[in-house]
Amino acid sequence: MTQTFEARGVAGFADTWLPLIRNAGPLLFLLFLVAGSAIIAPGVVQFDSLLSFLSDAAPVIALVIGGTFPILAGSIDLSVAGIASVTGVLVVVLNPVLGPWTSVAVVLLALLFGAMQGFVHTWLQLPSFIVTLATLSILSGVALLLSNATAEPIPSDDVLVGMLGNALAGVPDTAVVLAVMVALLGLLLRFTRIGRDIYAIGAGERAALMSGVHVLAIRTLLFAISAGCAAMAGLFLVSVTSFSSPTLAGNLLLLSIVGVVVGGTAISGGVGGLFAAVVGGLITSWLRVVAVIVGVVPTAQNIIFGVAALLAVAVTTDRKKLGVIK
Amino acid sequence: MTGTITLRGIRKTYGPVTALETLDLEIRAGEVLGLIGQNGSGKSTLLRILSGLALPDRGEVLLDGRPIVLDSAATARRHGIGMVHQEQSLIPNLSVAENIFLDKAHPAKRHGLCRWSSLNKAARAQLNKLGVDLPTTVPVETLRFSERQQVEFAKVLAIEELVDRPPVILLDEPTSLLTPDEIRALFFQINRLRGRASIVFVSHRLEEVLEISDRVVVLTDGRKVAERASASVDREELYEMMVGRQRAPAATRLRPETRHAPPLLQLEALTSLPHFRNVTFQLGRGEILGIVGVLGSGAEELCRGLFGVLRIDAGRVRFGGEPLKLAAPRAAVQQGIGYLPANRRAEGMLPGRSLTENAVVTFGHQYDWKRCVRNKAREDAAALQWMRRLKVKMDKPSAPIASLSGGNQQKIVLAKWLLAHDLRLLLLDHPSRGLDPGARDELFAVVREQVEQGLSVIFVADTISELIELSDRIIVMRDGEVTAEFDPRSGALPKEEQIVAAMV
Repeated sequence: MTQTFEARGVAGFADTWLPLIRNAGPLLFLLFLVAGSAIIAPGVVQFDSLLSFLSDAAPVIALVIGGTFPILAGSIDLSVAGIASVTGVLVVVLNPVLGPWTSVAVVLLALLFGAMQGFVHTWLQLPSFIVTLATLSILSGVALLLSNATAEPIPSDDVLVGMLGNALAGVPDTAVVLAVMVALLGLLLRFTRIGRDIYAIGAGERAALMSGVHVLAIRTLLFAISAGCAAMAGLFLVSVTSFSSPTLAGNLLLLSIVGVVVGGTAISGGVGGLFAAVVGGLITSWLRVVAVIVGVVPTAQNIIFGVAALLAVAVTTDRKKLGVIK
Repeated sequence: MTGTITLRGIRKTYGPVTALETLDLEIRAGEVLGLIGQNGSGKSTLLRILSGLALPDRGEVLLDGRPIVLDSAATARRHGIGMVHQEQSLIPNLSVAENIFLDKAHPAKRHGLCRWSSLNKAARAQLNKLGVDLPTTVPVETLRFSERQQVEFAKVLAIEELVDRPPVILLDEPTSLLTPDEIRALFFQINRLRGRASIVFVSHRLEEVLEISDRVVVLTDGRKVAERASASVDREELYEMMVGRQRAPAATRLRPETRHAPPLLQLEALTSLPHFRNVTFQLGRGEILGIVGVLGSGAEELCRGLFGVLRIDAGRVRFGGEPLKLAAPRAAVQQGIGYLPANRRAEGMLPGRSLTENAVVTFGHQYDWKRCVRNKAREDAAALQWMRRLKVKMDKPSAPIASLSGGNQQKIVLAKWLLAHDLRLLLLDHPSRGLDPGARDELFAVVREQVEQGLSVIFVADTISELIELSDRIIVMRDGEVTAEFDPRSGALPKEEQIVAAMV
């Protein structure tokens, strides 16, 4: 077949440059943010500051990488903040029963809960945002109820939380655990049959189903991963604060979704990946650093994150792939 | 004002792909202009430009010698141009009358208020112009496909009251989903309008184009390669101009050796209400069973039932001697059953993914380490091998599937199934829908080749001629039941009339 290539005009911009911006943009934006901050406040890029940044950013990054999975397949999990909060509460409440291994049991419980949630969403064909909005409310209520709406210290004998507070050769264990999670999930997405099926579902659920993809099983797994990551985020949080509060992760929901889309994962599914998720998580976390440096009052920070979310969605959404914008 | 549309030097590119290359075309007032071309020849782009959905990169559109800019469907409508879309553009939950006047101002709905009685009366007047008798107040989703098409036709025809010249009506493959009777009715309507409106008739069915058009224009690779009066050409000539080579005579499908082949699939009184009832037949290894029936006859649904998409109410299926449970597509795939859906866009392809990803979505796991870890090199190689064998026209295997023409997309969807090491039964549900004759012949050749190697095929045909061309044996369905069976191998080929008689 003969093809005619030619110089492209204005119309070529959308074809040539936008995909490039979409692919490399988030990373460049992160570097730009960090460089900008370093000029204003050189202290923030020192090794120690970066390490403590990583510990602070770990919960958000964990939420972002977990939340990326349902979104890749065209669903969304809004219950993650609830799961993270409940995790903190359960680590305290269940400790008298389960002892030092409580946190491990809670993570397993979260996986199970997420799987159930994905199963219900797919089996009953209910929109995921409604299902998970409902469970977000339920979980937040459970956290308040179980904790009597009070903050409690984390039992000192808990294995996982205790370990997360330590450091390995100067690197906080939180960062190590997070790196392992990213590596495992990244491999899953890129090199396994499950990864192939996830993208297929995100690109066209009906066609995937008609191609023999086990949509129910994959969706169930995706929501389990999302909930598991949210539980880990909860543990990261309490390992920093050493207190569990029923509203600990309450303000992280928006941040986690912002992180997913800022990284370049399309909210419509099928486009994105774990690298994008990590970059997106780092950007949102660093935005908090920037907010502090620039002197935005904490009460106004949510405005910044909301605007960032809007801009990110505007740039990363490939409208050609969407039939209808809902 | 006569209403002649002239296209001069129209050029349109999408990224690196040139869809139209300096096209000159005249649509004369009151004529029926047949437009044919292979998939990807630029027909759709031309229709998009005429109906205001795309702007040409270069060139101009003239109306009676004056240049006009068609930058939206509304502008095109103002200039008297409207399109009857192949996949229909009506709003399903609105009434017939509302749909007809959806895109037009009308006194009956001035100031945002609807006077239903007068709107319905106006809609009745529009339908009468086509000689169609449909209720105007029912939601269009309750109508049959052919009726909805008539509503859309009336909607476009109503444009003539907005302009003071004959309107231009674009019909994009209007016959592909119609029964023979409905096609006759459509032609009757077109003939009624002849002289009163210009009609651009796009179809892959060359006989139809020849029958209805005054003039035929052939597009190839975005250029006009021929322009003839319909009376002065025949089908074979058109085929050659369009495909660029002579049509190979269809291979006769008389293969007596399959007569005693062990049955692969045995259906016993298979029933899925309200779609089909008591369907009983056998399918041998390496056999092509053609099924034909009008829309709603149950032929398409039978395929979907065998693939596990529809609930089965009663009856038994044996596959390779074993009872087959029809639970879900996934279960069917594991048994070695593939399904090429009629609705390629929604069910066949993954729009945003690459050609390779589309090809390996179902059987990529064959190349996985322990059926779990992907081996992308082997996936790519297998996918590329099939793309070459099926002669897919593409930039590169990593291009998105949406960038291909319909025929090439269909080849990729077919490759998805042919990639299987142990595919035993392939269900082809209107495989040639939207394909040009050349692409269709290529598709059929591949199917035949696979059948020679032992694949069994159930083939739901679009037209009777392609049914006779490809099938070893023929079943006709009507209202969910099998009404006739023909076995060409046991004697002469069945006559078209015999098949039609069993269909309606």
